[in-house]
Amino acid sequence: MTESDAPTWRVPPRWVLLVAVLSIVAAEVGGGAMARFKVELTRWARDGMLARPSVHGLVGVRDVDERILDEALVKFDAGLRLFHMHAEGMGLVIIATSTVAATVIGNAAARRTIIALLTTGGAGYPVGYLAWSALIPSYGLERSKTIAEWLVWVPFGTATIVALWCLAGFVAWSMISRRGARPAG
Amino acid sequence: MIRDNVRTVRRPPLGVVLVALVMLALGETAGAAMSRLKPEIQRYAAARIAANAAAHGFSGSAEYDDEVRDRVIFTAEAGLSFFHLHGEGVGLVLFFASALVAAIVPGRRVRTVLYGLLTLGGLFPLGYLVYGAAVLEMGRDAGIELAERWVLTPLGVSVIAGLVGLWLAAARRRA
Repeated sequence: MTESDAPTWRVPPRWVLLVAVLSIVAAEVGGGAMARFKVELTRWARDGMLARPSVHGLVGVRDVDERILDEALVKFDAGLRLFHMHAEGMGLVIIATSTVAATVIGNAAARRTIIALLTTGGAGYPVGYLAWSALIPSYGLERSKTIAEWLVWVPFGTATIVALWCLAGFVAWSMISRRGARPAG
Repeated sequence: MIRDNVRTVRRPPLGVVLVALVMLALGETAGAAMSRLKPEIQRYAAARIAANAAAHGFSGSAEYDDEVRDRVIFTAEAGLSFFHLHGEGVGLVLFFASALVAAIVPGRRVRTVLYGLLTLGGLFPLGYLVYGAAVLEMGRDAGIELAERWVLTPLGVSVIAGLVGLWLAAARRRA
């Protein structure tokens, strides 16, 4: 094989790249907002929790309540951080994996399905962390986690994991079939 | 490379792409397992610690042994957590670095060496699986020592060497 007929990349559809870049932008904005509006966000979450004492098990004893509020605020902050981290990472994962899918998968229907799963799964999953944080003041730690888990993390995470393993299978299959097609000698 | 007025970018061999994808997929799967199977993982870790009591230096004092067990379980979970984080990160590093090698490094032999170093380094996250398993089987300090010395360090050096090689090749090309 000469340099000129070396295998090349194919670019994924434009909407995929736009979604990926949007995810990275949202992550950057989220990270910036976390730092810039830390006090306001904490105050908002704390006020929301104080407005629903029964949801958080607040008993009216300052020593006990402060510990509960602190724990919930740590989780609230963790949710925002995890959104920031995952949205950045998954944006890059979408770009990398959809490029591979566009290049390697020959069958158009399979290619479209894998790219759609990678893109929606990758962009949707990090939103679960944002939803978790936003729901903590209203629903408490456990219930907000359960809601985020079943509405966002499980469906979108599963989509990404299934699509990634399928894509790895397609790449492996492509390697095997190319090796088989190579002329002997 | 210009072909029919369409600019195309060379891609790395599929074997390299496959390793990057498998690392990403393993990283994602480990993240999901950590979240969904936490109690089962902790139970398994506690059972392995009990089966290797001598390696963990249990004294027979419940208070001391509980503290040791908690610390080892925490370390094993940290190994899994590092595996999730590094699987995602190093998978992407391998993908983008090898894509750069394919696109800008002239000379097939140099490219092959860089692919080799980067792909070997792409296996670095597996060191954290070894780390998590080894602390359960051999005790915390011995397990960490084994994983760091024999897996994480050589694979980490490989990825660093590959990235330095890519940087040098890019700088040389520019000059």
